[in-house]
Amino acid sequence: MHDLIVVEGVSKRYVTSSGPVDALRDVSLSVGTGEFCTLIGPSGCGKSTLLGILGGLVGADDGRVAIDGRPVDGPDPRRVATVFQDPGLFPWRTTLENVEFGLELQGMPAARRRRVATDLLGPLGLRDFAAKYPRELSGGMRQRVAIGRALAIDTPIVLMDEPFGALDEQTRVLMGEWLLEIWRRTRKTIVFVTHSLHEALALSTRVVIMTARPGRIKSVLELPMPYPRAMESPELVGLRAKLWSDIRDESLRAMQ
Amino acid sequence: MNKQIVLIRAVILIVMLGAWEIVGRTANPALYVPPSAAIPALGRLLTLHSYPDLLEHLLLTLREILIAYAMAIAAGLGAGFALGVNRLVGRAYGPILAALYAVPAVVWYPSLMLFFGLDAASKIAFGFLLGFFPITLAVLAGIRQVNPQLLVVARAFGADGVTAFRKVTLPAMLFTLVGGLRTGLALAVIGVIVGEVLGSKSGMGSLINHAYGLFRTPDYIALVVVTLVLIVGSDAVAALLERRAQRWTE
Repeated sequence: MHDLIVVEGVSKRYVTSSGPVDALRDVSLSVGTGEFCTLIGPSGCGKSTLLGILGGLVGADDGRVAIDGRPVDGPDPRRVATVFQDPGLFPWRTTLENVEFGLELQGMPAARRRRVATDLLGPLGLRDFAAKYPRELSGGMRQRVAIGRALAIDTPIVLMDEPFGALDEQTRVLMGEWLLEIWRRTRKTIVFVTHSLHEALALSTRVVIMTARPGRIKSVLELPMPYPRAMESPELVGLRAKLWSDIRDESLRAMQ
Repeated sequence: MNKQIVLIRAVILIVMLGAWEIVGRTANPALYVPPSAAIPALGRLLTLHSYPDLLEHLLLTLREILIAYAMAIAAGLGAGFALGVNRLVGRAYGPILAALYAVPAVVWYPSLMLFFGLDAASKIAFGFLLGFFPITLAVLAGIRQVNPQLLVVARAFGADGVTAFRKVTLPAMLFTLVGGLRTGLALAVIGVIVGEVLGSKSGMGSLINHAYGLFRTPDYIALVVVTLVLIVGSDAVAALLERRAQRWTE
């Protein structure tokens, strides 16, 4: 498999009022084209920081990050789109206008970007909500708008930072199934951050387990089985137990 | 508008005018004027009988207000954005500005008259001074209000500083900004008219002063009514703009 994203020996330290905090230490990771790679680990393990570094929003102190062979030195909306946990929709824009945002910044003519965004609303399940404002949408819908905004600029890579973290359990499962559909149709490379074991096991081709602060890679779980996955199968139940025992140790450490 | 509200409002107005009429008829006619005397005075004023040069004074006051307000907008936006784009500087300056704003502005007026004389310049300066603070403070508050997450999103999608300001900061703060512009207008109007009343040779304020000083109380009331219409009219236009901005922002 071709390595689209390469991370080598990346470290990141934040300086806070209570002293320096090691967010990441010596993280190395490769993500191949078309993978659904999930980062999982205890709170504060630097998953989001790592995602920020991949997206060019956060600078690494040490190490090398390259996408498609080119080093990352800032946000690059032609190659990478990001979905955040807080959907960050613009409240003065309608659903359609929010989805258009990235295309607008890239200077696409209004009629064309309107067409692109409108075509996306169907698969997003938002066809009847094109003219609604974010405050008129449910939490799950808002997050779909944010995902639509990321998909609209049609990048090979989509980074997702706990996109369903604020949703209730049922919506979350349905959104996961929906995302899987989108991913299988578009064949994008997704790097996904989550706290949810279920989400990680149901969606990913690979799960990367990170340690408590400072964040390092503890283990990697390959998940080659086909979709949709029967979460009650002995294989997945076993994997879930293994994943949980890995994360449990780290979460306990994080709670100390 | 709701018919009931209009009806209630009409009743309140009629009751007020009635009470005014009763009190005005029983009190000293040099000090209190009932509506039955004020309304004919308003007629004489509007037909240019009592003050033939009313229009000149009205236009002068309007011109002073427009100049004062334009200057307050320019300086208020300039100062607000200059101080506000840097969060730290904005937070450092905010309380100082708010404290200056809290000083009853009329205490500055004597020195403004000394600097700018009795003519239009001192009125414009006073209107400017009153209008400037709410606009500056609204810009500072508006910038603080912008959800930082939205700026991160803009950056992730490739916005540089100028684009992020234009596409995110400005629309996000618009409602607060327009509110500040509305308050600024109301205060600029007050500044100019108070300045005229406190000392001037022309403008609506000077006419009010003149009528009052000569105990021409019916004319005085009529002039106040004309000035009131001017103020309420300008605020109505501002309120309309504010509502449009609100619709657009939310």
